Amino acid sequence: MIIVNLEPDGKRIELNDTRSVLAVLNKLRLRSTMAIVVRDGELLTSDRKLSHGDELMVRKVTSAG
Amino acid sequence: MKCTRCRKTAHVALPSHHSGFCADCYPLFFTKQVETAIRREKMFTRGDRILVALSGGKDSLALMLELKLQGYDVTGLHIDLGIPNSSDKARNKVENFCELNELPLRVFEMAAWGLPIPDIKEHIKRPVCAVCGKMKRHHFNRIAVEEGFDVLATGHNLDDEVARLFANTLRWDTAYLSDQGPVLPASDGFVRKVKPLFRLSEFETANYAFLKGIEIHSDPCPYAGGASFTSHKELWGELEHRSPGQKFQFYQSFLKKGKPAFAQVEKETGAELKPCTECGSPTSAEICSVCRIRAAVSESKAKAE
Repeated sequence: MIIVNLEPDGKRIELNDTRSVLAVLNKLRLRSTMAIVVRDGELLTSDRKLSHGDELMVRKVTSAG
Repeated sequence: MKCTRCRKTAHVALPSHHSGFCADCYPLFFTKQVETAIRREKMFTRGDRILVALSGGKDSLALMLELKLQGYDVTGLHIDLGIPNSSDKARNKVENFCELNELPLRVFEMAAWGLPIPDIKEHIKRPVCAVCGKMKRHHFNRIAVEEGFDVLATGHNLDDEVARLFANTLRWDTAYLSDQGPVLPASDGFVRKVKPLFRLSEFETANYAFLKGIEIHSDPCPYAGGASFTSHKELWGELEHRSPGQKFQFYQSFLKKGKPAFAQVEKETGAELKPCTECGSPTSAEICSVCRIRAAVSESKAKAE
């Protein structure tokens, strides 16, 4: 299970059977350049693998302008 | 993925540049893009006094920090819009950021000026985002002119520019298409305006802000729900995913091939500007739209009482 803290929405989501950053983004219906993904303070590219219990911060980058 | 520069593990992947960068090399890429924008567009020099519009979001704060690191003479300007449960948070972020980085800051309060944005939302029957934008542009320009700054810099990025160009194109708005670009030269009553982040996407700025530890105000404006600007960005996000680099190509090609034609049309048919009889700001009417809105709110409030 992966825990996602989604910003700026302020939502906490639990995802099962998700083993890469790309899979997380797909489940959130986000493209790789629409959000930054952070694990333990480290930015992750979409090809990075994830482990059971990882907690991510996914911050959408689009501002209202 | 490996860093294109040093071959360590990449932390930021940039499909439009066919590259990826690690946390150490990425800021160098960002700095180079800003340097290129300033140099190629002749935006300003190290002798210029630069006023930077600071909303508290990632783009404006990243711009302010990057210009300071590059050795430019920068002063921040934040406009407190007076929106409950929103404006105070944005203002705090800006004030804390400037204090932490020892950056000079001016704050202009819409409420103290007599026109907080909630009053506009309540009394003016026009989209509040458009009127709010007009107010901000008016005060950014006015303060820059009154305080003798050489240039006003904003944190508009490539996504902002493309979304705006797309909206202007959908309407074939000749006036806006004639002068949209990374540099708007100074003219009577208007300070020079520049957008040093125009080569960088929102994603690229967000990565820079994160790596530099910038605490940003990321709460959406409570009044911005359903703004067409945001949906245009989503459309372009999808296009960019399918064809990386298309945003930059659309914008650059417009600057080279489209803008000159619209500028020529506007030169022949555009309205002449003269000082507003109320506030002195340049306008095509006798009284500028900002003064007209202010009067309309006062009148509506008086009626309501």
